[in-house]
Amino acid sequence: TLRLICTTTAVQRKNVGASGPEKYTEAFIKKQIEEFNLGKRHLANMMGEDPETFTQEDIDRAIAYLFPSGLFDKQARPMMKHPTEVFPEQRKIQWGEDGRPFHFLFYTGKQSYYSLMHETYEKFLNVQKHQDQLIAQDLPLQKEKRNLAGSRWLTKIELEEMLLEKLSDDDYSRFIQLLQKLVALPCADIEENYIQKFCKEVPVQLQRVVIEPLQYDEQGVAFSTGEGKRKTARATAIVYDNGTGKITVNGTDILHYFPVLQDREQLLFPFQFLGRIGKHDMVCTVSGGGRSAQAGAIRLASAKALRSFVTEKEVEFMRQAGLLTVDPRVKERKKPGQEGPRRKFTWKKR
Amino acid sequence: RIMPVRWSRYNPSYLEPEVKKDSYQKPLEELTEEEREQMELKAVRPIKAAPPTLSSSVFSDPMVSKFTNMMMKSGNKVLARSLMSQTLEAIKRKQLEKYHKAPENEKETIECNPYVIFHQALNNCQPIIGLSNITKGGKTYQVPVPLTDNRKRFLAMKWLITECRDNKHRRMMMPEKLSQELLLAFNNEGPVIKRKHVLHKMAEANRAYAHFRWW
Repeated sequence: TLRLICTTTAVQRKNVGASGPEKYTEAFIKKQIEEFNLGKRHLANMMGEDPETFTQEDIDRAIAYLFPSGLFDKQARPMMKHPTEVFPEQRKIQWGEDGRPFHFLFYTGKQSYYSLMHETYEKFLNVQKHQDQLIAQDLPLQKEKRNLAGSRWLTKIELEEMLLEKLSDDDYSRFIQLLQKLVALPCADIEENYIQKFCKEVPVQLQRVVIEPLQYDEQGVAFSTGEGKRKTARATAIVYDNGTGKITVNGTDILHYFPVLQDREQLLFPFQFLGRIGKHDMVCTVSGGGRSAQAGAIRLASAKALRSFVTEKEVEFMRQAGLLTVDPRVKERKKPGQEGPRRKFTWKKR
Repeated sequence: RIMPVRWSRYNPSYLEPEVKKDSYQKPLEELTEEEREQMELKAVRPIKAAPPTLSSSVFSDPMVSKFTNMMMKSGNKVLARSLMSQTLEAIKRKQLEKYHKAPENEKETIECNPYVIFHQALNNCQPIIGLSNITKGGKTYQVPVPLTDNRKRFLAMKWLITECRDNKHRRMMMPEKLSQELLLAFNNEGPVIKRKHVLHKMAEANRAYAHFRWW
């Protein structure tokens, strides 16, 4: 079974649509849509824009301007969205006027899930039959391996949204196992269309970032800039070519600015990884944060600046070494009723 | 319901970074099937940022960093790091003294590299089997249990540090005492090795309860 241990708030979105039959009637939703459209035109009027060409982005900008909020959770801030996004899709009533349900599996409780499993198993048997036919005719079985790295299965939440029904972890893992068994068969290409419904494309290369070209200053020396941040420290680095390996931070040499060996090791890490220690000069400015945060920020800035000097393969190696990702770890907030972020007050029996 | 036990700021799809340069120098043909799949997966998934203690230089060693972190008190990494470097220096000095005093034929057997001594000493201190408390029928028994690699390394380092903090003369410095202990452990002598043997004997004595373990 899949058990989430480390998770962020984004992964824990609740699926309201699958919690049960209709909470909002259709008439209610229609009224909400009318009110939304009317409100959109009023907002456009207030902002002085044209009501006809007022897009959702303009609405978001207007609301952020009129009701500024510094709340951490984006979902808690004031927002104005189309009712179909706010009120998720729900299942319509599953039985007719006489009380008789439409679907034959209604009394199982999870009708869409079980009907899906039945369908998938039917495809599985189909593929096996086809395979037996080919073997009977002594024809070779096609074995083209699907590119597994480029696609992923739907997550449990996405599957719940598709079926409009709550699933348990067990159900979800059974379904994924069945799909994997289906895909593992050699002649699974016949049912490719059916399987595509449960796949999602992951962008094959994570190199969506655009690498800037080198700039040249007055003496013809090539240089490039990069920005980095870590905790509260912000740094900008300018890396020059044809250098002697000198690094200047905020006007002082690194030996004076970072007396600790660990920080200097972090600064040299990108250069050492690419093997270009004595070849580049660096000038950086950094502010905010503490000793280690500033070192991390400069490391990120220099790695980003070095991207322009280096081939694409090496950029990919740098990314896989963890040099190009922004470190999202920040100080955890203190909670009320506790002494610190995790430490509770001393427990006294009386 | 899924309850997050520990959470991290990274999405669960982020993979660990690989810092060592040699794994990137390997040409494509030498990789096995698993490594090829691993490479394809890495090309698609995002990767976590490398922590400040990890670096691709020859001087950074994960075991040494782990030991330094365990020695650290109240977040004073500067002090812990300096103690560690002083320890390694002290080991080197002692070994060089021995080397220069030894006769010609024994000179090759004396190991001078402090990192080699550190790793070998930790390996010698690692217990093979551990004890765990299992309560059955109201009584708690000490049951012999196999240990994972991480747990063995952790126990070895923990014993070394507690030993150095407790059983020393009031005026003796930590690097001196640590280097002494490491050299003793390297030759399979000393109090830490004794503690490991005591644990093994206890496990051997409680062999009868081994069937209480259900995992």
